[in-house]
Amino acid sequence: MSVGGLLVAVLQQVIDGVFLGLFYAIVASGLALIFGVMDIINFAHGDLVMISAYFVWLISTYLNIDPLLSMLLVLPVLFVLGLAIQKGLINPVLGKEPLIQIAVTVGLGFVLQNIALGYFKAEPRGYPNPVFSEGLSIGPFVIYESKLLSAAVSVLVLFLLDQFLSRTKLGLAMRAVTDDRSSAMLMGINVERVYLLTFAVGMVLVGVASGLWMEMGQVWPYLGTSFSLVSWVAVALAGLGSIRGLAVSAVIIGIAESMGSLISPSVKMAVVYLIFFFILWFKPRGFFAKR
Amino acid sequence: MLTRSTLLSIALFQAALLAVGFLVSGNNYYMLLLTQVALFAAFVAAWNIIGGLTGQLDLASSAYMALGGIVTSLLWMRLGLPPVVGVWAGGAVAAGLAVLIGIPTFRFGVREVWYALMTASLVVILNNLFRYFMGPWDFYLPNKWGWLYLRPRTYFELFIIVDVVLLAVILVNIYISGSKIGYYLRNIKEDELVSEAIGVDTRLYKLIALAIYSFITGAAGFLQVVIYSSFSYRLFDAGLAISIAIMGIIGGLGSISGAIAAAMVFRALGEYLRSTLGGVIPGLDLLLYGVALIVVGILKPEGLAGLFNQLRRWWRK
Repeated sequence: MSVGGLLVAVLQQVIDGVFLGLFYAIVASGLALIFGVMDIINFAHGDLVMISAYFVWLISTYLNIDPLLSMLLVLPVLFVLGLAIQKGLINPVLGKEPLIQIAVTVGLGFVLQNIALGYFKAEPRGYPNPVFSEGLSIGPFVIYESKLLSAAVSVLVLFLLDQFLSRTKLGLAMRAVTDDRSSAMLMGINVERVYLLTFAVGMVLVGVASGLWMEMGQVWPYLGTSFSLVSWVAVALAGLGSIRGLAVSAVIIGIAESMGSLISPSVKMAVVYLIFFFILWFKPRGFFAKR
Repeated sequence: MLTRSTLLSIALFQAALLAVGFLVSGNNYYMLLLTQVALFAAFVAAWNIIGGLTGQLDLASSAYMALGGIVTSLLWMRLGLPPVVGVWAGGAVAAGLAVLIGIPTFRFGVREVWYALMTASLVVILNNLFRYFMGPWDFYLPNKWGWLYLRPRTYFELFIIVDVVLLAVILVNIYISGSKIGYYLRNIKEDELVSEAIGVDTRLYKLIALAIYSFITGAAGFLQVVIYSSFSYRLFDAGLAISIAIMGIIGGLGSISGAIAAAMVFRALGEYLRSTLGGVIPGLDLLLYGVALIVVGILKPEGLAGLFNQLRRWWRK
């Protein structure tokens, strides 16, 4: 490959990496919100995205509408599902040892994966007639409409989330609980209610992530595992407390994964996880932590 | 320590296991299944040292298993070193890697969820690297059988080897648990900060637990390769590592009898469900693991061991 050709290939990977990273930012934002406010270790986060992606797929194929439209129908369902999971599974283990929380959420992940495997079978499912499937050529680079659209939605949702957390009463309450639980309680914040709504809002973000994913790709039962790991890597890189920091971290991870696949598709995750090792060793509070 | 009642339980357990072995020795399928279940129990028992006794949620069991097994196999295939010797090297390489990663990890205080995620990603890293350097192929063991290669001609003999390993891991567990190190490890599990404050070198003892667990897992890893007769990058299986930790948790962290009971019951039940209903409802066995985890986590965090204790009390009344 010539030097120019290599440069084009690298830049193309950077562009794809940014798109992937903006998607990871949405996946990780739900996890970071829930982990930050409730201090609950959720290993089933990626599997929740996976199940939600199947909901999107079902609605899209049944009504023959674009995944981003089905996503809007899925969001209220996920809000309610979030309330139910919080009441039934998360509340009983709040404040318990990390190991117990991990056990329960890994259990939830196994249940979701195998319900998906039993019901939808193992083959990947995608929306058969996407509207935005064309690739736009800009100079030597190719940008897919679907990725561009997803990135736009992702940035919009992250902006709204940032505004929600800094302008609304509920958002401020969530941040107060993140910073100091007992003081927040003493200031008259109903912490129980904040927990319930935090999990539900986190699940709405899961729904957005699943819609963006179905716009770009396909869903299969084990899709969630790598999402869970990658979102934890993003949270580790960013630290807690800043949506912008999280978005930047997720984009860095997206680019790293994309560059890794330039070496070989079989090592792309190894590159991401090696970065993870070094963050945990040398920068355990992340680069953008507010506390 | 080895009290009379523990000795009696171990003897009874061994007698029962061998009796089942003799009973099914005519049927190759059941024999292989029993061997597989016993080996799984040995991995869970080894995990109990880092997970159950020390309270570190290590999700890299299959990484050490695969690494040890593959090193032993390659020493045999490339250098002609018989696996009877090779397994010790396999265990040593696995333990070496574990300690190499463990030193900075414990030095920088990586714990709880971050330790779990780090070890889980170690499995993926090794999986990817092996695939990158060795390719996606299956590597088959040479066509040689015999005790020297830990690869006997009959499944019954293989079962005996696995059973000896399982017994050894149980004894190591009991020994550690009763020794000074065992008290330190339980102390770390209870509250790491407190044990640091009272002067326990938490980093050193966590490293010791990690080294023992990864050495046993790596050395026993070759037996997994023997069961498959081949190895590939798929041996670095993140799901298997999680299952092993799950059995330790369901068994009731730190209880060796609970861990082994959970491993054997769930693995056997899982295989049974897979062979009967696997075609109709794939993943039913794993669904069951998930439900068991949720139930144990929410209702009975002390796991099967808690149930055993209740039964024992009820029996004595």
